[in-house]
Amino acid sequence: MPAIRELLLEAFQPSLKDNEALVDAILGSSADLKKRKFALGGDTAVSGLLYYVAGLADSKVVELILRALVVQYRESHREKEGPETADDIVTGLLSNASAKSCSKAEEAITSVLTGDTLVMIEGVGEAIVVVSRGWEDRSIEEPVAENNVRGPRDGFTESIRTNTAHVRRRLRDPRLRFDEMVVGERSKTDVNIAYIEDLVKEGLVEEVKRRIGRIRIDAVLESSYIEELIEDEPLSPLNTVQNTERPDKVASALLEGRVAIFIDNTPSVLLVPTFFWQYIQASDDYYNHYWVGTFYRIVRYVALIISLVLPSIYVMLISFHHEMIPTSLALTIASGREVVPFPVLLEALLMELAFELMREAGIRMPKPIGQAVSIVGSLIIGQAAVQAGIVSPFMVIIVAITGISSFAIPSYSSSLAIRIIRFPLLIASGTLGLLGFATVFFALMLHALSIRSFGESYLAPASPFRARDQRDMVLRMPMWMLDGRPNFAQDEDRIGGRQRPKPPTPTEKG
Amino acid sequence: MRNFALFIMLSLLAATTSSCMGLRQINELAIVSAVGLDVGEKPGSVKLSAQIMRPADVRGQTGAPSGGTGEPIYSVSAEGDSIFDAIRNLGRFTSRRVYWAHNFLIVMHENYARRGIGDMVDFFTRNRELRMNTWVAVTPDSPDELISTITGIEVVPGEAVDRLFRYNMVTGLAVGSNMMNLEEQFLSSSAQPVIAKLQLMPRGISNKKPEEHGSLKQVELTGAAAFREDRMVGWLSPEETRGLLFFVHDYLSGVEPVSCPNNGSMATLEFKQARLSVYPSVRDKEPEFRIRLSTEADIVENGCGISLAAYRRELEGELSDALRAKIVAVLKKAQKDYRTDILKLGDRLRNRYPIEWSRLRGRWTDAFSEAEMKVEVKTTIKSTALRTSRRDIH
Repeated sequence: MPAIRELLLEAFQPSLKDNEALVDAILGSSADLKKRKFALGGDTAVSGLLYYVAGLADSKVVELILRALVVQYRESHREKEGPETADDIVTGLLSNASAKSCSKAEEAITSVLTGDTLVMIEGVGEAIVVVSRGWEDRSIEEPVAENNVRGPRDGFTESIRTNTAHVRRRLRDPRLRFDEMVVGERSKTDVNIAYIEDLVKEGLVEEVKRRIGRIRIDAVLESSYIEELIEDEPLSPLNTVQNTERPDKVASALLEGRVAIFIDNTPSVLLVPTFFWQYIQASDDYYNHYWVGTFYRIVRYVALIISLVLPSIYVMLISFHHEMIPTSLALTIASGREVVPFPVLLEALLMELAFELMREAGIRMPKPIGQAVSIVGSLIIGQAAVQAGIVSPFMVIIVAITGISSFAIPSYSSSLAIRIIRFPLLIASGTLGLLGFATVFFALMLHALSIRSFGESYLAPASPFRARDQRDMVLRMPMWMLDGRPNFAQDEDRIGGRQRPKPPTPTEKG
Repeated sequence: MRNFALFIMLSLLAATTSSCMGLRQINELAIVSAVGLDVGEKPGSVKLSAQIMRPADVRGQTGAPSGGTGEPIYSVSAEGDSIFDAIRNLGRFTSRRVYWAHNFLIVMHENYARRGIGDMVDFFTRNRELRMNTWVAVTPDSPDELISTITGIEVVPGEAVDRLFRYNMVTGLAVGSNMMNLEEQFLSSSAQPVIAKLQLMPRGISNKKPEEHGSLKQVELTGAAAFREDRMVGWLSPEETRGLLFFVHDYLSGVEPVSCPNNGSMATLEFKQARLSVYPSVRDKEPEFRIRLSTEADIVENGCGISLAAYRRELEGELSDALRAKIVAVLKKAQKDYRTDILKLGDRLRNRYPIEWSRLRGRWTDAFSEAEMKVEVKTTIKSTALRTSRRDIH
């Protein structure tokens, strides 16, 4: 038996029997693969064969095809003799929105497995592929990981077409492009690369296509597969590719001249290039008043710093630099630690571990049990452990504030990354004091400064410093001041000049 | 990848070879809040007493069960040939490492101060653990007793003295001497050290035996000790100390009772923004100083029973006299009795006439004690306040 690879390259023959044998050899017998015989125009002399995958193909569409081929053929082809070409059937007979002829087995098989219907007729040298995709889908829901109070609540789903439509609805720009690619030897996953032709950074689309085109993998089950295969810094704990479930975020990224990568079967869409500060920005910043947006953005920056360094600074002060604590605070801490049997580093690691355990246990539990986990956890960790004298009350406060701060970072993936980075920092501070803290912190800084995301510095616009882009980094300036795109975009002007609203000047008539 | 492995190995090596060097948990420290220095029994030796805070009792129950509910402080003393020796001897019976960085106060006995404070200034500025903002005081009482006396409203006595020093501006009767300005005066050739005086006085009233008034001793901050070079030469009374404060602080406010113009009762004036200007000059190679104090004042208490608005001039004169008397008193003490320039007048002369100073420098003690001083005081009563006389009540 010839290898399936060779079979796929074969072309269709006029003989239905040969074609049937070819398709059967490739697809074999599968429970969900349906094979339907029919007689063209009700004429038993000319038989046809129709393949589709149950569940993927819409049975209403299949019925429509059959009605056209069996019933309507007889009416329209009363006087003609014998079968014609596949193209004639497509143009003259089928009323489906999308149908085409195809001569190669590979194309036909992929289409069938995507949900299309393959039609083969005796005496016709080509097969016909009719698009009949229609399967059960999750309805559009609010993105779970990226909620907001004001602003659109629709999130992406698992269907790539629905997802691209979300973005198209927001940007009716003729220059918005979705370029198609297929990734995965076995999964044949659809990947769409979205960009706005006259805004996108020059060469970026080609670079994205080049990196995705290089991927050789059996299947792509989630966007992270692609993310890890196209990253700039595969060893870095920091994410250099942003992912989102929010169509409005994707639209705004496209308007900034970035590229979005849609992947079928996942609601996560990838955005490149990515900057570190984007993980601290939330869409609420733009949907609320700019004073509010700026304030909460600053709060989030504080949360970032706290979640990264607070336990380390506490451990460092308690074990090495007692003179840096104000006297009254030193006494309070010392009195809380009087009966604690562990060194503060171990105490911190224990508590962090307990916290991570609670979080991890809560995530995958069914909701009612998740609540039980958090109740038991907070009671034991917060109350009993302190009363038993295993941890000091101060450490509970530190771990709790750190935990809450890490939840305040809008991007889930980057909040996880910061959680992980915290541990080397903590251990260095606990063993070497300020020296260790400074060393690891600067190593991190240098690392973050050195990496790039699709050719752009990761810490831009802070480093390299771009004065123009500062308006939307730590601060969120009012809309009428945000008149520029990031400087890698082709067209940098975002809105016209002098957009600042003001009351009309009173005319003389009053 | 090799670099990464190397980096990991090096950091592991650094962490292990250091073996957490210098690591000390905060609850393994004996935090000293006050230290006393006295002459030891052996001649030339030092007796050092330390007030150590017991955190669990200072803070009481803070969630965790804490050890003991006894005294908030633990006071110990040890002797040694030098300060450091005495500190090392403390280690014989303190179960935790003695930690100095949170020390509030260094208090020396009069005898110790008269013997010379050179070793103390050196030790407490040389040690990296000690802070330069530690208060320094001299006491005529036993430093041991002073340090272990539970005082004031604060739980830790050292903290109580710390606050006494901080809010001493309200009474303005003692200098705020800390290690920083002590060292500065100690090293300067144109100024001499002056250190605050602490003493134990039976001021507290026992809650259990209120009839025995003043049965509890309290630490009182009042007056100052004058030094020449490194030795104490004598005390300054609170009145003289206020005169001194005009010289060593930029602005000063205080309260001064003066007698009424009409009868023998008293009115109280509060002077504010007192500013002392010193105009040094050199005549016939001898220094001269014109000292001019200008201040504003408010009437804060009128016991005279009449409206004082008309007597403004008289009251100003009385206040000026009272303030001049203080300045003259401290000048006399410094020049004639103790022969030491605690007023920093040498500084002023040096800044103004550096060449003359270099000539006078060698015999400054004599020159200072012979120098002519002219004291002028100018006061202005700004406000007689709303209430003018007692008749307004009716």
